[in-house]
Formats: sequence, structure tokens, C-alpha cells
Amino acid sequence: MEQLIHQQWLIPIFPLIAAAIQSLLPRKARKLSATLCIGAMAISCVFALRAFLASYGGAHGHEVEHHAERVFTTFTWFSFGTTDLTMGFLLDPLTAAMAAMVTFVGLMIFINATGYMAEDENFTRFFCFLSLFAAAMLGLVVANNLLMLFMCWELVGLCSYLLIGFWYFKPSAAAAMKKAFITTRIGDVGFFIGILLLYWQTGTLDLYTVDGTGALQQADKLAGLAGWWGLSMASFIALMLFIGAMGKSAQFPLHVWLPDAMEGPTPVSALIHAATMVAAGVFMVGRMFPLFIAEAGNWVMDVVLWVGCFTALFSATIAVAQFDIKRVLAYSTCSQLGFMMMGLGAEGLTGGQFHLLTHAFFKALLFLGSGCVIIGTHHEQDMRKMGGLRKYMPITFVTYVIGMLALAGFPGTAGFFSKDLILLNTFHASKLAWGLATFAAFLTAFYMTRQVFMVFFGTWRGGVGEQHGHPPSPHGFGAAHEPHEVPWNMWVPIAVLSLFAIGLGWWEHGYHHFVAPQEVIPADGKGMVMGLSVLVGLLGILCGWLIYGRKTLAHATDPDPLQAMLGAPFTWLNRKWYIDEIYDATIIYVTGVLGRFFRLVDKVVVDGILHAIAWVAWGISQVTRWVGDEFLINGGFDTGCESVRGWGRIFSKLQSGRVQSYFRVLGLGVALLFLLYYLK
Amino acid sequence: MNAAFWILSAMSLIGALLAISLRNLVHCVLSLILFFLGIAGHYFLLRADFLGAVQILIYIGAVAVLILFAIMLTRNVTGTEGPRELFGLGWWTGLGTALIVAAVVWVTVDSAPQAATRSPGQAVSSVEQIGKSLLNQWVVPLEVLGVLLTAALIGAVVIALEEVVRRR
Amino acid sequence: MSITLGQYLILSGILFAVGLCGALTRRNAIIVLMGIEIMFNAGILNLVVFWHYQHFATLTPQMFAIFAIAVAAAESAIGLALVIAIYRHYKSVDVDEMRALKG
Repeated sequence: MEQLIHQQWLIPIFPLIAAAIQSLLPRKARKLSATLCIGAMAISCVFALRAFLASYGGAHGHEVEHHAERVFTTFTWFSFGTTDLTMGFLLDPLTAAMAAMVTFVGLMIFINATGYMAEDENFTRFFCFLSLFAAAMLGLVVANNLLMLFMCWELVGLCSYLLIGFWYFKPSAAAAMKKAFITTRIGDVGFFIGILLLYWQTGTLDLYTVDGTGALQQADKLAGLAGWWGLSMASFIALMLFIGAMGKSAQFPLHVWLPDAMEGPTPVSALIHAATMVAAGVFMVGRMFPLFIAEAGNWVMDVVLWVGCFTALFSATIAVAQFDIKRVLAYSTCSQLGFMMMGLGAEGLTGGQFHLLTHAFFKALLFLGSGCVIIGTHHEQDMRKMGGLRKYMPITFVTYVIGMLALAGFPGTAGFFSKDLILLNTFHASKLAWGLATFAAFLTAFYMTRQVFMVFFGTWRGGVGEQHGHPPSPHGFGAAHEPHEVPWNMWVPIAVLSLFAIGLGWWEHGYHHFVAPQEVIPADGKGMVMGLSVLVGLLGILCGWLIYGRKTLAHATDPDPLQAMLGAPFTWLNRKWYIDEIYDATIIYVTGVLGRFFRLVDKVVVDGILHAIAWVAWGISQVTRWVGDEFLINGGFDTGCESVRGWGRIFSKLQSGRVQSYFRVLGLGVALLFLLYYLK
Repeated sequence: MNAAFWILSAMSLIGALLAISLRNLVHCVLSLILFFLGIAGHYFLLRADFLGAVQILIYIGAVAVLILFAIMLTRNVTGTEGPRELFGLGWWTGLGTALIVAAVVWVTVDSAPQAATRSPGQAVSSVEQIGKSLLNQWVVPLEVLGVLLTAALIGAVVIALEEVVRRR
Repeated sequence: MSITLGQYLILSGILFAVGLCGALTRRNAIIVLMGIEIMFNAGILNLVVFWHYQHFATLTPQMFAIFAIAVAAAESAIGLALVIAIYRHYKSVDVDEMRALKG
């Protein structure tokens, strides 16, 4: 493992090189671009798996007591004066598992994307951005240094911006890309303050160093220092870092960008907004966990817990009332991230991080599946216009149902194990939160079932639809306007992912031992919690079947049965609790006013000063011109010339051509000589 | 003897002054002749007999006549010159220069002690002596002088020749 | 009291100055030449005066004087010939009009 850490840089480097090459490719080089992207990711996957196996092998060595080490390396990035800025790589269980997940799921998504973006003319640019994102995300994961982490954090934010607004000519996409970037930036303010405080208090940005002076290694020392708001310095820094995580992982109130991010292509949604980037916030909290738990009984963990809990419930309620297939999944992601945060807040590092891992697999599966549905139905995204797709797209249907079961926590699936662990930890932290989380789990099962029934069961409501100019599908499935199954490069990845969605959960114990062996998972109430979570999961599926499965929608324009039942609250949920409108009226409005005010200040004060300076400069130049140039130089020069000419005129009179005047001068000269001679 | 000096000095001085100030050219020449006479007289007074004779012969007999001829040949109709520039810059320059020269000479002479006390010598020159030395000691300069005079003669003739001759 | 050297020299100096004044002042070329003649004579007078008062053993100053007179005469002949030639060209003997070499 020692020599492996010095090759840790190989994990993010290949996608970076690929992105650099792809950025120079012409638009026609589609095959080359996709090959570079997928190839680079595959190589990174190999190295990540190698690192994972080496790290895991260390965990399950021949000695019973031997557990996974943490190895790291740092190098100087640049130095100024006497201080150095260092960056470094880390290989520990958390990193190993995360890197393996990111590369593998990413690889699946990239393969699927070759099918999804096949008809798009900006294919090459898309894969370039995907490579860049992969490089940045992997850099974030293997970083041993807050500076490097923050740089990669911002880079993934940039890639998210670029990819959400991939179809930038759509106004909704352009608005969404800005919203995503700005909202996450608000969170990043807190993150940056946290980094600065950490650097100030510990004097280093490295997380782990050889001599124990790493930022995380000094967590106990920081816990002893006093911060603000009744917290120790460690906890205050943790709070600031959590604000950054809130932005990136779309926790309430900074969640507003995630649903709008669905404007981007579906592979983007799968990769960035389900599996990896939004998980970066959770990952970062997990990475910085020593800071969070350094001070016993601090209220930052409560903040994390309740923010996560509220987000989980809040997003789940909204997901129930959405009609766009991707919006449901977006709010579901938001909700599941809330679960993860809640788990971390309950001091359950294992639970939160394991759920992150499993969620990445089945959420990517679900998103890619929805992508297949969208392609199969010729870019239809409204669920009311779908239906009965299980006849047309059987493979997609099967894998999608597997994903849905995993998300709903059906016993045996991956989601069941991880969500159960979170609920157990939460039960011991706060009963109220646990109760709300259980209700959110119920809603999760419910809305996923609703989605599956609306999309795959019943009759096809899309019908005649618009003209697409879409050529008959090459494999001859269905007619031009009927949905069809997707090609192999789209369904093979989701099939692979579905295997993990089923099987990954069984690794829970191994993961716990691997990542956080010192953590104690409470055993009280385990059976009760597990039983209750199974119960609410099945209950949710049952309710979904009752409302949506028994009698499916006949036409696209039929009202939603739940809407008929609930009436006005349904609209309120459908409109996302009017959060966007509230923000618009308050924060955006105030920002707009401030913006206009500062524009005025800029115009009057700044421009005024500028104009004044320019005017003064102009005035000085004019004066210089008059005095210096006109008067002194021109005038002086002219006067000089004139005087020379004048003297010339005078002296030229001596050359009169008259002999007598020459004679006179001669005589005068001689006389004067005589005079001088005499006077001597 | 002094009286002769004063009379002759007055004659030459007046002659010179008139020669340069009179308007009528012929009058100028005539006063010039008076001047020459005065100088000749001075020569006689200074016991340079031959020189005095030569002065009269050459200057009055040749040069003055030559000037008269020149005046006659270059006459304006009235024989007088045009408007004078009396008191012009040139006039003052000339006058000033002359005055300076005169003043310097006068003062120099006055300040030299020898000039006051020197008495005339007893040297006498006779024509015979002059003739002998001309042909013995001074024969080469004599011949050169002859050549010079010949050259001057020919030159004057050539210069003053009428152009009518050249146009042929 | 006999006439001293100084008095003679003053006389010749004054005569020279008169001649100089005439040469510098008058506009007629012939008068200018006359002024030059006056200057010449004053100079030659000076020579003879010095011969007389300086007790020269030889006749050298007289010889000098004779030659000077001869040269002066030649010079005045040439000068007047020039004046005549100029008169033919300019139709006047006013020196102020002869400024072809102006500049």
C-alpha cells in the first residue's frame, strides 16, 4: 500500500488528460471523443479498484486485529515567501470505496450516454465535459488537502453548470444552470469560511500529515478551543463546512437548484445529480467527521440531523405530486440525501456513507432507466403521457422495478440495508426525527410505486403525439411513434447497475468493518426499527398499487387520482410548497434592489470618479498642451527660429554687395584695433 | 621755416577736406590738386627735392588729369552726384572711423617722447644720388616697377576698352 | 623752434583720417578713389618725414617713397579704368548701386 499511494494521482489524471484532448477535437470527432472519455474512465476504474482491493486486503489481512490503514502523501504545489501551499493524496477506506464507486458507476453512465446523446450534434463537447467532471470528482475524492478538495469542489460545480446548461439555447436550461451555480455558491461561502478558520487555527490545510499536524489530526485540540455561538472551534468549523455541504447536496433551504437541474441531459442527471456530485457534500461531511464529533454533545450534529430529516420529508412530499419523470427522481434524490445527512447527524458515519454508496447505484440505475424511457418514447418526459411501457421496453421495465424496490427499501435490496442502518442510528438520536424519517420512507415507497405504475403499466397514452422527424428505429421495434426498446449500449449499463442494486446491500457488515470499525452500531431496538421500516415500505407500495395500479389512467388528460383525493394540497405539493415563489419575492427581490442600487452607485460614484479623473487628466493634458507644447515648444521654437531669421536679416545687411560698406566695416575694425592697441 | 610748414599744412588739409566734401566733381579734383601741391611743398621742406618734383609731375600731372578724364567719361548730365546721404549710417560710420584713427594717432604721437624732441637731420638728397642708387642698388626693383607699369598700362587699356571691340 | 617729428606725424595722421573719411563716406566712386589717393599721400609723407627726422644714412626711405608713388599711380590708373568700365555697365558711378554681389 505504501507504493500505491504514490500512484494515487493516476486515478484522476486519465480523465483530465482525456478532457484536455477532447477540448481540442472538432465536432465531428464523436467516436474519438466518446472513446477517450470511456477509455480514460475505464483505466481510472482499474486503478481505483486496485486501490480499493489493496485497502480492503489490508482490512481483512491474516491477522484478526489488522484493520485498514490510512496512507497519504503530500507535495508542494507552490511556495511564496516562507509558506508553502501543499496538496496531497489520501488512500483510506472511505476514499477507496468512494473512488471505486465513482469510477464504476461513472463508467456505466458514460456507456449509456453514448446512446442517449447519439442524435445530439454537440456529442463531442458533452463527453469532454463528462471527462472533466470525472477528473474533478475523483480529485475531490482522493484529496488529502482542503485546498485541493475545494478546487475540485468548485470544478465539479463548474462542470455541473456547463452540463445542466448543455442545451444553453433553451431559456429554461440557461436559467437552471445559473440557479445551480449561484445556489451552490451560497453554500460555498460557508465552506470557504470553514476552510479559512481551519487554516487559521491549525496552520495547515492538509488533512493528514506524517507528523500528526494535519487538520483532522488536530481535531481534539480544536475541540478544546472556543469558537462562537457556544461551540468549540472544531464544531464551529464543522458548522461552516456543513453549510457548504448543504449547498452541494441540496439540503433545505438550498435545495432549489436540484429539480431545475433536470434541464440537463439525463446522463448528467444520473451522474452528477444522483450518484456523485451531490454526494460530494455527504462525502465531505464524512471526510471531516472527526471535526464534527470532536466536541461531545455539540449542537452542530443536531443541526445536521434535523436539516437532513426535514429535507428528507419535505422533498418526499413534493415528489408525490410531480408529473415529470425526472422531477420525481430529482426530489427523490434530495430526499435520500436528507436521509444520508440525517444518518451522519445521528453520528452514524457507516450508515450515512453506506447509503451514499448504495444510493449511487440504484439512483443512477433509475435515472438511466428514465433516460431509456425518454429515448424510447421519443423524448417524452410527462408521465401522464406514458403508460404500458412494460410491453414495449421489457428490459428497461425489469431493471427499473429493481431500482424502485431498492429505493423503497424492499427487504433484501441494497436500499433496505443502508436505509435501515440510518433509521436505527436516528432512532437512538431522536425519536421524533426517526418517526418523521419513517414517514418519509413510506412516502418514498409510495411515490416510486406511483411512478412505476404510471409509466410502465396500463395503456400507452402517448399515442399519436407530435411529428419528430424521427427515422424508424434500426432494430425495427415498433412503429415510428410507438415507444421502443433502447439499443444495447443503453440497457447493458442499467442491467449491470441493477445487479449491484440487489447485491450490494449484503456487504453492509463488511463495509462497517472496513470504513469505521471503531464505531458502535447500537443494537437496541434493531428488530423493531427494521420491522417497522419493512412495514412502511410495503405499505407504501400497497397504497401506490391501490391508487395507481388497480385502475391506471386512461388518457393523458385524466386527472391524477391523488389530486382528486387531496384537492388543493396536491397543487401545493406540486408547486413545491411555493418555495421558489417565496424566494423570488424575498431574497431575489432584495438582491435585485441591491443590485440596482449598486448599479446606480457604480454609475454615479465609480463612473463619476472615473470621469472626474479622466476630466482632470484631460484638463492637465490641455494645459500642458497650451503651456508646454504651444507656448514653450512651439512658441519657443518658433520664436527661436524667428529670432534667428531676424538676426539673419540683420546680418545679411552686412553682405550688401556694396564695396563701400565692406570698406567701412574694415575701417571700423582697424580703428578699433588701433584703439585697443593704444588702450593696452 | 615754421610759417612755411603751417601754410603748407593748411593748404594740404584744406585741399583734402574740400576734395572729399565738395559736390561738384571737378571742384573736388581741383582741390585735390591743391592738396597735392601742398604735399609737394612739404617734400621740398623736408629736403626731398626729387620727390617733390616727382610728386608734382606724377600726381598733379598724371593722376589728377586722369581723374579728370575719368570724370569726363563718367559724367552724369549735370556733373554732380545724386542725393547725398548726409548723416546716414554710412556717413557716421565713416566719420567715426576717421575720428578714431585721428585721435589714436594724435594721442600716440603725443605720448611718444622722441617725437617731441627730435630735431631734423642734415640729410640731403640729390638727384644724382637717387639716380645712382636706382641703377645700382635698386635696379631690380626698378625693372620690376617697369614691368608693373607696363602691366598696369595694358590692363587699364583692356578694362576700359569699349565693348564694341569685343562684339566683333 | 623747429617743427618736430610729432607735428609732422600728426599732420599725416590727420590727412590719412581725412582720406579715410572721404573713402568711406562718399557715394561717388571717383571720390572714393580720390580719398584713397589722399591716404596714399599721407602715408608717403610719413615715410619722407621719418627719413628726414630719423637721420637715415641711406636713401632707402626715399626710394621706398618713389616706388610707392609709382605704384600708387599705376593703381589709380587701373582703378579709374575699372570705374569707366563699371560706368558703361551701370550707367552710373554710384557705389550704392553696385550691389550685384549682395547676399
